[in-house]
Amino acid sequence: MSDTFILDRNHLPYWLRQLRKERKLIGPMRKKSGDIVYEEVSNIHEIELNCPAILPPVKEFFFPATEAMLRFKKGNVNDNIMGTPAVIFGLRSCDVSALNLVDRFFGGDIKDRYYTKKRENTLLVSVGCNMPDPTCFCMSMGTGPFLHKGYDIQLTDLGDRYFVEARSGRAKNIMNKFRHLFGKPSKADYEDQYEAVHLSQTYFEKRINLEGARNAIVSGAVHDDFWRSVTARCFECGGCVYECPLCTCFNVIDRKYDGTVERARVWDTCMFKGFTRMTGGVLPNRDRIRRTKRWYYHKIVYGPEQIGTFGCVGCGRCTITCPGVIDMATVGMKLSKGVDNS
Amino acid sequence: MDKIYTICPYCGCGCGLYLHTTGNRVTGVSPSRSHPVNRGTLCVKGWNSHEFINHPDRIAWPVRKTDRGLVRTSWEDALDITASKLSSIAGEYGPDSIGVLSSAKCSNEENYLMMKFARAVIGTNNVDHCARLCHSSTVGGLSGAFGSGAMTNSITEIDEARTLFVIGSNTTEQHPMIGMHMLKAVDRGATLIVADPRRTQIAEFAQIHLRHRSGTDVALLNSIMNVIILEGLVDIDFVKRRTENFGGLMNVVNYYTPPVGARITGVPAEAIKKAARIFATQQRSMLFYSMGITQHITGVDNVRSCANLIMLTGHIGQPYSGLNPLRGQNNVQGACDMGALPEFYSGYQKVSDPASRRKFRRAWGTKVPDKPGMALTDMIDAIGKGRIRALYIMGENPLMSDPDLTQVREAFRSLDFLVVQDIFISDTAGMADIVLPAASFAEKDGTYTNTERRVQKADRALRPYGEALPDWQIICRLANRMGYPMSYNGTYEIMEEIALLTPSYGGILHHRLDENSGLQWPCPDMNHTGTPYLHRKKFARGLGDFIPVEFLPPAEQVDDDYPMLLTTGRMYFHYHTGTMCRRTSTLEREEPECFVEINPSDGKRLCIRSGQPVNITSRRGGLEVKAMITEKTPEGTVFVPFHFREAAANILTNPACDPEVRIPEFKVCAVKVEPVAGKKTTRKPEEVDISKFWIERE
Repeated sequence: MSDTFILDRNHLPYWLRQLRKERKLIGPMRKKSGDIVYEEVSNIHEIELNCPAILPPVKEFFFPATEAMLRFKKGNVNDNIMGTPAVIFGLRSCDVSALNLVDRFFGGDIKDRYYTKKRENTLLVSVGCNMPDPTCFCMSMGTGPFLHKGYDIQLTDLGDRYFVEARSGRAKNIMNKFRHLFGKPSKADYEDQYEAVHLSQTYFEKRINLEGARNAIVSGAVHDDFWRSVTARCFECGGCVYECPLCTCFNVIDRKYDGTVERARVWDTCMFKGFTRMTGGVLPNRDRIRRTKRWYYHKIVYGPEQIGTFGCVGCGRCTITCPGVIDMATVGMKLSKGVDNS
Repeated sequence: MDKIYTICPYCGCGCGLYLHTTGNRVTGVSPSRSHPVNRGTLCVKGWNSHEFINHPDRIAWPVRKTDRGLVRTSWEDALDITASKLSSIAGEYGPDSIGVLSSAKCSNEENYLMMKFARAVIGTNNVDHCARLCHSSTVGGLSGAFGSGAMTNSITEIDEARTLFVIGSNTTEQHPMIGMHMLKAVDRGATLIVADPRRTQIAEFAQIHLRHRSGTDVALLNSIMNVIILEGLVDIDFVKRRTENFGGLMNVVNYYTPPVGARITGVPAEAIKKAARIFATQQRSMLFYSMGITQHITGVDNVRSCANLIMLTGHIGQPYSGLNPLRGQNNVQGACDMGALPEFYSGYQKVSDPASRRKFRRAWGTKVPDKPGMALTDMIDAIGKGRIRALYIMGENPLMSDPDLTQVREAFRSLDFLVVQDIFISDTAGMADIVLPAASFAEKDGTYTNTERRVQKADRALRPYGEALPDWQIICRLANRMGYPMSYNGTYEIMEEIALLTPSYGGILHHRLDENSGLQWPCPDMNHTGTPYLHRKKFARGLGDFIPVEFLPPAEQVDDDYPMLLTTGRMYFHYHTGTMCRRTSTLEREEPECFVEINPSDGKRLCIRSGQPVNITSRRGGLEVKAMITEKTPEGTVFVPFHFREAAANILTNPACDPEVRIPEFKVCAVKVEPVAGKKTTRKPEEVDISKFWIERE
């Protein structure tokens, strides 16, 4: 069960400032160009909570696009494990759901210390989405717009106040420290909170039935001609994978600086033919159709088989970042509506 | 983690992106959602544009050539040597014995300073940059026809166009984010016509794909115009009110009936007719072209033909239409605008015009030369003849990018002094007497002008690597040493000087560029909000000029000895001479080696299988590459990308140039292709001995 509180809107900056004393505070900030990005908060009053989906997802704070893992020099190895205590404020339900799934990849049988250390030291304060974006379809995936479990702290915007839910152990501990800031929710608060949840559902423009898409693929109704037409539009930019909060593929490279060798990992993409390049130059997936198919199969078919859930949280970032308009929402929609193979 | 806004350092789309930095390292990149060109998307090069910044091959200190190879030296030493050498050569052989190559990769401020350096400090108009090799035909052709050589419309307008005619541009691969807008227009029902010998990705979406023979663009365009005139599809009002010399055009175009066009180009007459009818009758028709038009000995003619077609149909001077040359480098438009050209000051003010000369002489407080200087390709010729004794090159790599590399290398050996300012030891820097380490795009601020004339500001994200300095600071230090004081507190001060002297940039100052992704020139004053499309109400020169052109075949034809046509170009994963992208693990892993595209029927005839090594030989040299059998390239033609120094396609290419603007014919030359038998016969490029350089650093 979660502990529930009420926070006056005017007390939010104070609370964040207190949190910042012990941890790095990361939140959505507006840049001069007009974009809103997650970065370290300089001025708490400039945090932008009413913002469209932010590129890239917060996975970059735990699993950066380029991460120096080790440095070795003359037999000495320095492990570069980072994990400054941080709080990410203002992320969305889909981001939290995605991180919970990524945890299963990096924190499974083999623990990835580079990821888990950062994850353990970061508190997530998510804000439910009263007004989802036109690209969002988290409701279809059951990963938003508000969460029932799996979060640290979840805020619901009730206009002049926030309805606060603390779920995880560490979240409850932190809330204990700031008891003086939070009130006890009244019956009206609960009702208002439910209304926000209830109303948000009407704003979704997209309903994507990935179960239908999965059935279509599994039943063999989707032929290669469909995938050929999808692939023809692929720009091979890798954006779908780079922006996907669930994609975790990386490549490992070594670089030599003046006697020190640095081993780094960089984000990788199964959309590239070099992803499975073998010594001697053999490319098992030279065929672009197979690569496109692989990504969708991984998300729609293998996900449910292996981890019991789709490899998609419906955040809509691939919709924003795909130049060829062959993102999960578009393709998933086409698949679920029955594919015309002609 | 900080996120710093900058402009992608690769192509002319000029996409906005954020560099993510931790400490003094870039850890990632993300696209800007509000940027009008990329709108939250990036291509693979953009997504990976951060990796080369911290690459260990970066030049960390000034280096000097000695018998032991390139060795580390101090800034004082490097600049003293450079200044004294340049001064003494200018003193002994005259200022015109020095050539200056500016860079389309550097900012507007740096290009302006470089041309000021050439003209005010050295005293020569011998300043040029790689636009000579890509769009000099555009500058030459369009300034004649319209009076201004740039993309007439904006990239966002593409979404709303009804007809897109793409000729000689592999848009989805070379300008991916413009390709994205084209696809969007097609999805909304626009008709796409592509004219390209190769079956490129964008051609897959075309309703009409005209696969004409390489080098027959004038015939194809004349034939299209012939149909438009004969079928009465000319926009007569527009031709009467806004243009002149229509009669001259008619006389020439009359000959190119569709059957004649078909005979020359190999495109069926019906297809020519169909394309002509669609292009002329649709309102909102846009024409796009790129290297397939410009890199010919008839480059200027090709551009004029495009301009003629646009004027004939009246698709100009309004939104959602126009003539749109797609510029290659991130700041090639800006480098041209800034006057890094032998015949122009900034804003295309002619050096031959006494009034412009007086203006710059007064502003710079020194004499300026009056004779137009040498173009890049002429400078290379002049080195061999002893007329150029020294070159100062900023961020360019002519030893990979120029045609007939064997000759270029020979010429460079005979230089008295070569100074190169770059971020990596390129093939060119490897031959230099002094190499000056420059800051990369992430390590300096400045403005860049993309292909749609949008002047954008990029912020500094990192401290420069090692002892590297931003290019503008290097130029200033060198100028000071050569007795011409140049001091600026920042790039914003340089921009103020540019605005003062350049009418089209008159209202463009740094503080105006932070919002709305910059300003599109012409922007003559501080209240002006920029110009989304050009030639409204009248052309820049007044009336548009129909300059009729006859078809001329390429300089080199196929014959019995060299029976195949070679066309060169770029590929999606790499960029130009590969100094940056080939140091990016993801990009290099995708395409680590050179290849030659051969049509299956040619492959069969020559007994070549996919993956087999083949020798390609032209009259100028040969190289060995792997064959790739594909339908993309038509029969009788082969295609080689030019990014790979170990198999540099420009060893093969023909240095024949357009007589007016001196652009070489990269797109056509005659070669023979044979399977490799037995021993390797490849001519390996000379190794740049980087190892010595590194030992010295310890």
